[in-house]
Amino acid sequence: MSLLKPFSRLTGLNTANILLVENEEQFQQKLADTVVLQEKTVNVNVRLARSLPLPMENEESRPRIDLVVFIIHLTSELSFQSAETSLKYLDPGYFQGKVCFLVTSARNVSVPPERLVSVRTLAASLHCPLLCAEDQTTEGVTTAAHRLLAILKVAAGLVPMATSLYLSTLTRCTVPSDIDQQNFE
Amino acid sequence: MMLYLTTFPYQESSCIMGRRDVQIHFLTLLVLYFSVMEERNSTEETPRNNALAQRRSKSYRQSMRSCVEATHLAYTSGLLTALRIPRSRKAPKSCDITKQVDPDQVALLVKKEWQLSYVTPLYQFRHTQLKSYSKQLSAFMVSEKQQGLAIEVGQELGFKVNFSVVLGLAETDKDAETVFIQILSKQVFSAKDDAPKVVWSGWLTCVNGDLDYLRSLPLEFVSLPLFCTRGPESLTVLVKSWFENIFDCCFGPLDINSTNLQWLASLWTGCHPTINIQYLKLVWTLPTLPPMDVTYTVHPQDAWELWDSMRQVDTTEDSISIDEVTGFIKGLQSHFFRHFRIDLSAGSLMQISTALGSSHHSGKIKIASPNYIPTILQLLTECALLKMPI
Repeated sequence: MSLLKPFSRLTGLNTANILLVENEEQFQQKLADTVVLQEKTVNVNVRLARSLPLPMENEESRPRIDLVVFIIHLTSELSFQSAETSLKYLDPGYFQGKVCFLVTSARNVSVPPERLVSVRTLAASLHCPLLCAEDQTTEGVTTAAHRLLAILKVAAGLVPMATSLYLSTLTRCTVPSDIDQQNFE
Repeated sequence: MMLYLTTFPYQESSCIMGRRDVQIHFLTLLVLYFSVMEERNSTEETPRNNALAQRRSKSYRQSMRSCVEATHLAYTSGLLTALRIPRSRKAPKSCDITKQVDPDQVALLVKKEWQLSYVTPLYQFRHTQLKSYSKQLSAFMVSEKQQGLAIEVGQELGFKVNFSVVLGLAETDKDAETVFIQILSKQVFSAKDDAPKVVWSGWLTCVNGDLDYLRSLPLEFVSLPLFCTRGPESLTVLVKSWFENIFDCCFGPLDINSTNLQWLASLWTGCHPTINIQYLKLVWTLPTLPPMDVTYTVHPQDAWELWDSMRQVDTTEDSISIDEVTGFIKGLQSHFFRHFRIDLSAGSLMQISTALGSSHHSGKIKIASPNYIPTILQLLTECALLKMPI
C-alpha cells in the first residue's frame, strides 16, 4: 500500500503545500484559486486529487504535503464514503494536525442530520478539525480559504511557537458523548 | 436548635434554589418545630446528609434537561438531535382505523396529496372554541380579500370556514386531538342554491409525539406540530397568518429528507404481505450536467424478498432498525449499479411511491390506504418535531 508520508521529504523555503481531496472535483478548483490568490507572503502550492492513493507516477516529483484536506459534500452519501476509504492511505503521522475535514452544505434542509453526525464522529475519532464551508457564494469560498490558510501555515511550520499538533488540540472536533456530563448548575 | 433551623435553608439556597423555595422551606420547618417539640423529625436532620442535596439537584437537573433538550436553540440540530433521531421503529400493523375514527373523516384524509409544514406550539388553543375560531377565520379572510383591490363579486365574498375535530387519531394521552379545517365558498358561476364547495382544506395533528417534549411544554401550549394543507397557496398563507396572529406560533416548510423517505419506502414494502403494494417506485436526482432524474421501479415481489432478507433473523420482533433500511436501499442501489454503472448514492432521493401512498422530498405526502395511517403520521410528527426550532 502506498501511504502518503508527512516527513519523507525536505521542506522548501517559505513554501507550503496543501492537498485537496474531493470526490466530485467541483469545489476544489474554486478553493484552490482563492487560496493561491489570497496568500501573498508565502508560496502556496495547491494539489488536487479525487481520492487517495495518489498516482505512483508523480511520486518522485511530488513535494512534501503539509496539509491534507478532505472535502465532503453532505448532499451525497458517496462523498463521505470515498473520503472514508481514502483515509486508509494516509500515514498515521498525518493525524497529528495535518489532516482537516471540510464539509459543505451542512445547513441544507435536504441533508439528513445523521450524515453530519457521522462526519463529526469520524473527525472526533481522528482528532482532526472539522470546518463547515459555504461553497455557493464567493464570500463563503474566501472564508474557507482563509481558514485553511491559517491551519496550513501552522502545519508548514511557518508560524513561530506553534506546531500542528499543538493547534490540533485546540481546533479538533469533539462530540460530547453523554448528556449527563453536561453541567447545568 | 434555633440556630440549626435558620442555617438549614441557606445551605440549600446556595446551591440551586431560588428565594421562593427558601421561604417555603423555612415556613414548613417552623411549623414542624412548633408542632413537634420533643421528637426530632427526620426531615430536619437530613441536610447533614449529603444524599438529599445530591438527589434534589439530580431531579432538578433532569427536569431542566428535558426542557433544555426541547428549547435550547444551539442544540436542536446537532448532538441532541442525533440522540433523538429514532434508530428503530415498530413495524406497521394493519389496523382498521375506522374503528377509532369516523369513516367519513378518514375519507377526507386519504387519497389526497397534502403539503406538509411544521407548527410551533399554539398558545391557548382550545378545542372547545372551534366554532368561534371558524367565525373569526372567515371574517379575517373576507377582510383580507377586501383590502386593496376592487371587490369582485362572487368568489371573494361568502367564505365559510369549518373547524372540526377528528377524534381517534391521537395515540397517547399527551397527543392533542386532530383539528380539521375546511374553507368553503361559492363558485363564481354557480346558481343560487348550489352548496358551497370546498376550496381549501387543512389539518393539524400530533400522533405519538415525543413524550419528554410534550411533558416539558407549559400548560397553556397545545402542540400540534404537523400541518397538512391542500388548496391554493394564497389561502394557505392567509390561514397561516391568522394562526400566527391569534396563537403566536410559527410555521415553516417541512421537507422530508432522504433518510425518512427511505424509512417510508421500507415500511410500505414491509406491508406487502397484507396489502399488495403493486410497485415500488423511487426517483433519484443525480448532480450531473444537466441534472439527471432516475426513476427506478421495482416489482413488488422482488422488493418484498429483498426487504425480507434484510430483516434480521428475528422477524417476529416488532422493531425495524435503521441498518435494515439502509441495507435495503443499498441493495437496490448496487443492483442498479451492476446494470447501468451509475452509482445512485451520488445523488439524492427525491420521491418514493407505492400503491399505499407516495411522498416527495419537498414535503408532499399522499396516503392511499387508511390502514397504515397511524404509522405514517407518527413518522411525520417526528419529522415535524425535529424540524421545529423550539
